[in-house]
Amino acid sequence: MESCYERSAIDRILVSVVDNDGSVRESLPDLLTQFGFAVRAFSSAEEFLASDCVDQTRCLLLDVAMPGMTGPDLQQELIRRRQGIPIIFITADRDMIIRQRLIEQGAVECLFKPFSDMALLEAVNSALHPK
Amino acid sequence: MVNSAKSHDVPVDSSVPTASLESILCTEELQRRPSRRPDYEKENQALVKLASALADSPTTIFRTLAETIQDITQCDSAGLSLLTRDGKTPHVDGKRFYWPAIAGMWNPHVGGGTPRHFGPCGDVLDQNRTLLFTHFERRYPYLMPVNPAAEECLLVPFYVDGQAVGTIWGIMHSDRRKFDAEDDRIMASLGKFASSAYQALAHIEELKIQVAEREKAEAEVRQLARGLEAKVRRLIDANVVGIVMWNLEGEITGANEAFLRMVQHDREDLASGRVRWTDLTPPEWRGHGEQAVADLKATGMFQPFEKEYFRKDGSRVPVLLGGALFEESGNEGVAFVLDLSEKKRAESALRRSEAFLAEGQRLGQIGSFSWRVATDEITWSAELYRIYELEIGAPVTLEVIRSRVHPEDVSLIEKMKMVGQEREGGRDFEWQYRLLMPDHSIKYMHAVAHATRDQDGQLEYIASVQDVTARRLAEEARDKARSELAHVARVMTLGTLTASIAHELNQPLSGIITNASTCMRMLANDPPDVDRARETARRTIRDGNRASEVITRLRALFCKKDATTESVNLNDAALEVIALSLADLQKNGVVLRPELADDLPLVTGDRVQLQQVILNLVLNASDAMSGVDDRPRQLVIRTEREDDRARLTVQDVGVGIEPSGVDKVFEPFYTTKSGGMGIGLSVSRSIIERHHGRLWATLNDGPGAAFSFSIPRTPEGLARADGIRNIQAPAVASPGAA
Repeated sequence: MESCYERSAIDRILVSVVDNDGSVRESLPDLLTQFGFAVRAFSSAEEFLASDCVDQTRCLLLDVAMPGMTGPDLQQELIRRRQGIPIIFITADRDMIIRQRLIEQGAVECLFKPFSDMALLEAVNSALHPK
Repeated sequence: MVNSAKSHDVPVDSSVPTASLESILCTEELQRRPSRRPDYEKENQALVKLASALADSPTTIFRTLAETIQDITQCDSAGLSLLTRDGKTPHVDGKRFYWPAIAGMWNPHVGGGTPRHFGPCGDVLDQNRTLLFTHFERRYPYLMPVNPAAEECLLVPFYVDGQAVGTIWGIMHSDRRKFDAEDDRIMASLGKFASSAYQALAHIEELKIQVAEREKAEAEVRQLARGLEAKVRRLIDANVVGIVMWNLEGEITGANEAFLRMVQHDREDLASGRVRWTDLTPPEWRGHGEQAVADLKATGMFQPFEKEYFRKDGSRVPVLLGGALFEESGNEGVAFVLDLSEKKRAESALRRSEAFLAEGQRLGQIGSFSWRVATDEITWSAELYRIYELEIGAPVTLEVIRSRVHPEDVSLIEKMKMVGQEREGGRDFEWQYRLLMPDHSIKYMHAVAHATRDQDGQLEYIASVQDVTARRLAEEARDKARSELAHVARVMTLGTLTASIAHELNQPLSGIITNASTCMRMLANDPPDVDRARETARRTIRDGNRASEVITRLRALFCKKDATTESVNLNDAALEVIALSLADLQKNGVVLRPELADDLPLVTGDRVQLQQVILNLVLNASDAMSGVDDRPRQLVIRTEREDDRARLTVQDVGVGIEPSGVDKVFEPFYTTKSGGMGIGLSVSRSIIERHHGRLWATLNDGPGAAFSFSIPRTPEGLARADGIRNIQAPAVASPGAA
């Protein structure tokens, strides 16, 4: 497995994807690569935290509902660790109230599946270049 | 010594010179010698004695005769010689003489004798006259041992039916006296007595034989009669039928116990003559009796006929009787009498039960028919005619049947007929079909047929057909209402699964959009990244299929559809339900714990309906735990094998149920949820019951409740469609349409 440190040598920005759904881990990295990002995908919050990519990650695409540590749980954990990684939540559950709460907790965006490629790009840009 | 005299004719021994016959005869001396004066008185006495002896003791007549000869002639020995064949009994064709009786000195020689053709007696018969011998042993040496020797021997022949059968003789053994003419005369006279005696004896012997034969014949007849009598007695005393002896005057002369019991009279009554035929017969039956008498006089017997007798107490007994005269034109006869009470009782009971049956059929609208397979004979009960609205008693043919059976079900009847015919073993079967009446109304029929053998061993079906129209219509209405209710319940469920449905669909949709976008960008690259674009296109198609599947599954679960029957694996059904509801459960913080048994038997039923029940239980459990914070919201789905049933349990740690509510929760419209309609559990229970199972609730030891249902497993061999076992008409709505 390539280490995150090597990737950053090519000067691509690292975006990490955390989602327990296999098809997301399949499709999102390819799209993000087309956008020019470096991408790493993790199947659980725990796996992400255990990896060596946490510091390198410039933007986190995070699933909300996951077994074990949920998306919001990871958000809280990162706050606790004072890792200020911008988080874009992705979820299949169109719940406006939850979205509101997540953004109040500091998420950059909460995208509802299915989302368009442009919506994704906009969100990532927002995350990387906060106004 | 005597033996030689008894032997066969002794051959003349030429070495011993024998005297000539002339030399031993001196018959003419009789006339020359002075004669004694006759003693008539003595002679008379002797003759009288002889006559009475003849009458009194025939067997000793010869002895008496010999004694008389000796007495009258005053000789030394006297006796008889009789022709014989066996040496013991007289026979006119004899070749020997034997001496049956001898009086005097030669008495010891009784039983001896002389040959016919060489001896003194033979000579007498040859010459047919009296002869006087002197020392005949000089000619006949075999007489030499016979002592004492005969100085003189006077022999006289005697006759029976003109045939000489022997001689009587007297012997002087010394010179003391010489035979004279008087002796000759007396002997001749005694010869006649000898003749009578012979005849008498012969007669007696004949009589003895006749008597013996007659006695034998009589004994045989007696034996026969005893045998016959015993047999007849056996019949009479066995009392299996009443037996009566009577005469044409009307008197009863004898009867066995059976008859007496029948009419409750005792022997006294009959013997006294108080009871006559006519007394026993009720007036309305007298005509029959007179006819019987006429038959007796004409033919000697009367054929069996039924009538009644009065018993002693005045009650009546039904009987069958037949009889005959002992002799064709006689006056006395015998009759058998059979008590028909039992038979009459049985007949009346049968009539009663037939009436019950007919009434029962009418009440239940059940008709019946029998079908004799070999001859195709079909017999219908009255009620079946009524059900078919045909004239009662009209002949039943296939045409007639076809004219009433619904056109769509006619083939069913044909099929059933074929099955019935080929099943030589004969098994029971049932089927349902419809009738189309002339007024176009439809009747629903339910028939059950039982295979049996008639008295000739032929295969026969007895079937019961019930008009179940009313019940079927009611069922259909009920099923319709139920399915409406179930639909409503499903729609309610549908509403609560928004999160899950969204989740299930949005996942593949998201994949599609992302992959398609990526594909576009890859193809727009310079140079285009065709390989990787192809990969993204593949993923797109895959996700598209996934989405399609989810929709199909959801549709299946929530569309209103008729119930189907298939083999269902409850584990798989539960897993699908879990997959469907996972998102919602997770949203509610529910921790799922499946405990699915490996050896769970298959059940037969509607998969979709069973999944609805499982879903209902799972969602209820989730709801029950929505307020639980102090412990994990654990939801256990457990399947287990229970003998020949499969059991599924959904157990939660939620608010539980009131103990009194354990059954109430299944009542329609019972709910603790605000906004709930409360029909989920009642519909679930009826679904399970339609699967021949049961659904129940129990309280846990700790918090929460467990809802379980158990369904019988699929019986072996019933998983195949065995159309014969239960032939269903195609268009009839199956029960439990949902």
